[in-house]
This record gives sequence, structure tokens and C-alpha cells, in this order.
Amino acid sequence: MTTPTPPIRIPLTQLAPGRRATVECSALDALPEGDRCLLTAMGLGERCEVRLCRSGHACIVQVDTTRLGIDEQVAARIMVTPIDDAS
Amino acid sequence: MSRPELATIALVGNPNTGKTTLFNALCGARARTANFPGSTVDHHLGQCTIAGAPLEVIDLPGIYSLALDLPESVLCAECIDGRLGTVPEAVVLVLDATNLVRNLQFASTVLRRGLPCVVALTMTDAARGAGLVLDPSSLARDLGVPVIEASGRTGIGLTALATAAHDMATRQAPPMPAAPCPAAEPGTAACADWAAGVFERAGGRTMRASADPLTERLDRAFTHPVGGIAAFALTMGLLFTSIFWLASYPMDALDAVFGWLAGVVHDVLPAGLIADLIADGVVSGIGATVVFLPQIALLFFLLALLEDTGYLARAALSLDRTMRRFGLPGQAFLPLLSSHACALPGIMSTRLIPGRRDRLATILCAPFMSCTARIPVYVLLCGLLFAGEPWKAGLAFVGCYALGILAGLGTAWLLRRTILAGDGRAMVMELPPYRRPSLRTAFHVARDRSQLFLRNAATVILAISVVMWWLSAFPKVQPSRESVALRHVADASIAAGDEDRAAELMATAKALDAQTQARGSFAARVGDLVQPAFEPLGLDRQLTMAVLTSFLAREVFVNTVAIQVQSGDDVADPGTMESMRAATRDDGSPLFAPATCAALLVFYVLAMQCLPTLVLTAREAGGWRWALLQLGWMSTLAWVAGAIAFRLAAA
Repeated sequence: MTTPTPPIRIPLTQLAPGRRATVECSALDALPEGDRCLLTAMGLGERCEVRLCRSGHACIVQVDTTRLGIDEQVAARIMVTPIDDAS
Repeated sequence: MSRPELATIALVGNPNTGKTTLFNALCGARARTANFPGSTVDHHLGQCTIAGAPLEVIDLPGIYSLALDLPESVLCAECIDGRLGTVPEAVVLVLDATNLVRNLQFASTVLRRGLPCVVALTMTDAARGAGLVLDPSSLARDLGVPVIEASGRTGIGLTALATAAHDMATRQAPPMPAAPCPAAEPGTAACADWAAGVFERAGGRTMRASADPLTERLDRAFTHPVGGIAAFALTMGLLFTSIFWLASYPMDALDAVFGWLAGVVHDVLPAGLIADLIADGVVSGIGATVVFLPQIALLFFLLALLEDTGYLARAALSLDRTMRRFGLPGQAFLPLLSSHACALPGIMSTRLIPGRRDRLATILCAPFMSCTARIPVYVLLCGLLFAGEPWKAGLAFVGCYALGILAGLGTAWLLRRTILAGDGRAMVMELPPYRRPSLRTAFHVARDRSQLFLRNAATVILAISVVMWWLSAFPKVQPSRESVALRHVADASIAAGDEDRAAELMATAKALDAQTQARGSFAARVGDLVQPAFEPLGLDRQLTMAVLTSFLAREVFVNTVAIQVQSGDDVADPGTMESMRAATRDDGSPLFAPATCAALLVFYVLAMQCLPTLVLTAREAGGWRWALLQLGWMSTLAWVAGAIAFRLAAA
């Protein structure tokens, strides 16, 4: 019997463009409170699914139908678990 | 018959939900921009009539949460909670059908406050286009409030919405059971689960975030590190060229109208104090400011169109990294660029910047950008400094622009590390969908900004213009002997039939009178008193007076010097330049020595010298202390840099 591999958590900026991921419960903990509250209120909250549209200095992610532009330094502190698109 | 009581409702919702379009459709031309006392965050106030009863509508700024520590969120929370002067009797919650789960989470925080509420469900046509058909009655059951599909663009549901809001505000609607909204804040799992449940019961289905190929392509192009900035430069180039080209006609017309008005006042009223006050103080003072109105109206009209397309958000994102090096956000680029045309629209467009510290830093550094009013001064001084060396004069001209930009960005950097220290708001912004812009919304924005600008011109600027006029017009000084003699010769020329010669002589006599008056006025006495302070810049009494009289508007410098040296004020005219070059001081030395020209040039690049900008800074920054800080900093920097330039050039 094999032990299930724990989900890999990576910074949002390391996700390949076009890939999806889930924002984890404590994913925004590394951010200052103001940025965390704003992102959460904008829809990038715990357990939500995001798609990275563009990486680099101007990072663009899509949450549902909303596209958010996020500074690279902020995006690098958001931890996500990649979703296997085949699943 | 008693007048129906005025009920007040407030429109609240996330940004980009069609809230302001709804407001404009409800209130039309009767809307105006306003501020609650002590707040610099705008909201819009308007009225509409429902079955003969008036309804006041407050359009609050779009926000993501009532709990965020942001000026817009604090304002909305205080307004809804009745902590500001105007207390809304009901709230219209504007929810975007294409983004309902997030909008519902925000709605839960408003509904929990227990105010009578109506939901306006917008963007339903776009949702249907994406295959999403929502059931308003299901939403109404879950939320415990009426839900009405409405669109400001098509007008669908507007009457039903206004009637429901009015009924709620006047307590005519039957109470509905309170919604079991979660106590959790938006974005938390509990709140998201509740919103997803409401959404699914209304017929919604969770869709995976999918890619729209056109949006993806445009976003890639507009946020590209090089291509994005090139696209922005091209867009802004086209925008400002259009503004200069289109605005020049109404500006010339306004200038002519105010000139004509001043002439009419002098013709109609008996010569004397009242005529001078109205023509030279009131009409000229207001005219000098109002002439910029077409530029401001056009800039905001075109910017509103551009913002509505969804492009400006991408441009701000793309420029953010560059601007952050100086402590400014990406959104600051546009106001700084606009300030090269005129600081007034530049400062007004800082309203696009969300963070207060970021916005203040941009307002305070915007007047360093070389505006068009500086051009005549630059042309005059560069021409005097490098006579017969056009390429050097051209380089100096470009250097002035570079020095202004450097000083502005340096000021922003310094401010963000001292009195405006603190983390700026990190660039986190919603990128609205690309869409066709609304002409109606752009018109309303341009009208609002123009009204604000005119209100300024009609109040503080008018008052200060009158004071400045009084200082230059009093005490009245008798015409000089030379002027009286010239008038006699002019009379003799008329008698001899040589009217051209007479007109020429009269013009010279008038210029002499103006010079005599300027030398004997209170302003000149102040000039004499202040001259020692400008000695380190190499300025004599005449140039000090020219600097002081140009405090209202820097371009006045050229006119004042022209009057003093009795030349024309057209700096493109070689005769004018020759007269100025030959002008001397009281001790016979050249008035415009090279070192003095260099000092003056540096001084005019860095000095504030623009009263309308000062007044607007006080208004937009939220107090005169910011305007005085700006004046003090720019004047000190200009004086110090001017003195250094004088020393270096004289060495």
C-alpha cells in the first residue's frame, strides 16, 4: 500500500501560465493584513480556484470570471496547490 | 397640498458592476459630484421622481468590502450606518450577475446591517450570453429582499427598481424575512459556501475560469514589459495630440470672449475704480483660469472613454514596476503625463489613484512637470542665454523638461520616505472586461470634473485675483512726462491725418503708463522689499517684480518684462528678443546677464508660480497645509537651485 503524496504547495508565480491551482487556507498568511483582506474581498480567498493567465512583473490571474492584476512580489507570497487539469 | 417627503437611497456595490451607469440613467443631468464633510472621497448625488415623489440617490464609490481600511470602504460603511450627515433610508445593492458569488459575499455584509434593501441585478444580458440564466425570485427568497433585473445601458428595470427602492425607503413595502447571512467576512470558506449555495439555487452553475482568447491576447500585449509601455506611449501621444488640437479652438474662443468682455466693461462703465476692478480683476482673473476648461473637459471625456474600455487598468499594471522605484504607483503615470499639458487636469486625474499616500505624493510632485504655460518663459530665457546658438538653446529647452521630471520624481521619492512614509497599497487591481465605452458615462464624468473646476475658478481663484489686481493697481500713479508728451504728439499726428503713427504713439504711451503704474504700485513696493532675497539669483528690482507678479501665473513673467523694457511680448519676434537683450538695469548693466538667465530658467522650472494649481492642490489633497507645503518646498528648491545655477554660470 502506498501513502498518498501530500499536495505540492508552490508560490503562484511558479505556476505555468494557463495552469489552474487552488488557493490554500493559509496561503495568504505571508501577506500584510491590508493586502490579504483586499485580495480576499476581491475573490481570491481560501479554497478558491485560480488560473494563471500571465506571469512576470505584471501577474494576471483569473478567479471565476474576474481577472486580477497582482504585483509580482505579492503573487510570489500566495501559496497555491496546482490542479491536474486532466482530473 | 403638502409636498411629498424626500426619501434618500444609497447605491452600493463592487466596482465595475454598472452601478454608476445605473445612477446616471436614474438621475441623468441632475446629478453632481459631492464630498461628505471632511472626506476627499467623491460620491455622486442626484434626484429622480417616482410617481410624483422625489427620491434622492447617493452613488457611493465601488468597494470590495465594508471592512477594508481604505477611504472608500470607510466612507461607505459610515454612510450606510448613518454616521455622515445624509442618512439613507434604504440601500440599493448592485450585484453583477456575471460575478455573482463574489458579489453575494459582499451583499451579505450589507444585508447584515438590517437596512431596508433592494437588489439590482445587473449584467444579466452578459450572463445570458455566457449561458447563465438566473432566477431573481429564488435570489429574493434567499436574500430576504426584492431582486430586480436592471440595466443602466438599456434602461430595463429602471422604473421597477426606483419604485421598489422608494417603497423600501418610505416603509411602504411589506417586510420580508431576514436573510440568514453568514457572520463570516467575504472570502472566508463559510461566506463563500453560503454564496455558492444561493447562486446554485438561483440556477447558477460554477464554471471553471476559462480563457477568452481575445482578452488573453490583448492582456499579453498591453502588459508586455516593452510592448505595453510602447502601446501606452502611443495611446497617450494620440490622446494629448487630440486634446491640444481639439481644445485649441474653444480655448482661443474663450480667450477672445473674456478679452471682449473686459473691453465691453471698460466701454460701458465710466472709467475708474469699479470698471478696472470688474474688467482687470474679475473678468481677467476668471478668464485666465476658465480658458483651460476645454482642455480639462476634453481630457476627462477621453480618459473616461479609455477607462471604460478596460485599457487603463492594464496600462497601470504595466507601468507599476517603473513608478514604484520612485514610491509612486503605476496609476501615477497618467496624471504626471497630463501635467505636461497643464497641472490642473493632471492633479484632478489623480482621482484614479486608489491609495491616499500614493495620491498625495502624485499631487505634490505633479506641478514640477513642465506645463505649456512655462513654454514662453523657456523660449525667452533659452533664447537670451544662447543667442545665435539654436542647438544649445534647444538642448537647454529639453534640459528644462528633464530637470522638471527629475525634481518631480525625486520629490515623490523623498515624500514616500519622510512625511508620506509607509507601505503604499500593493498593486492588486481588478482588470475589467474589455468593452465598448459609454459616451453617456464619459459625458457625465467630463461634466462633473468641469463643474468642480469652475466652482474653484468662481470662488477662491476669483478672490485672490482681485487681491492681486488691487496690489498692482494701487496706489494710482500719475502718467510720466514722457507719456504725456507722447500723447500730445499722437494728438498732433491725428490732426495731421497720420492715424497709424498716432496709434503707435498711443500704444507706447500706454505701455509707459503701465510701466509707471507697475513701478509705483504696492506690488512694486513689495518687490523693492523682497529684492534682497532674490539677490543670490542675480535678480534686480525689475526682475524681482516680474517674478512676484507672475506668482498668479508664470507666463505673466514675459508680459511684465515686456512692459518694463517696452517691447512686445511675442517671444518668437526677433525684435522682442533684441529689446530684451538690450535692456539694462538701473546701474546700466545688462538686465539679462547669462548667469541671471540660467538662474531664472532653473527657478521657473522648479517654482510653483501658479495660483490655480495651488488652490486645486488644497482642494484635492484635503487641506491648505498640503498646498502650502507644496508652495514652500517648490519655492525653496527653486530658490536654492537658482542660486546654485547663478553661482556656477557666473564662475
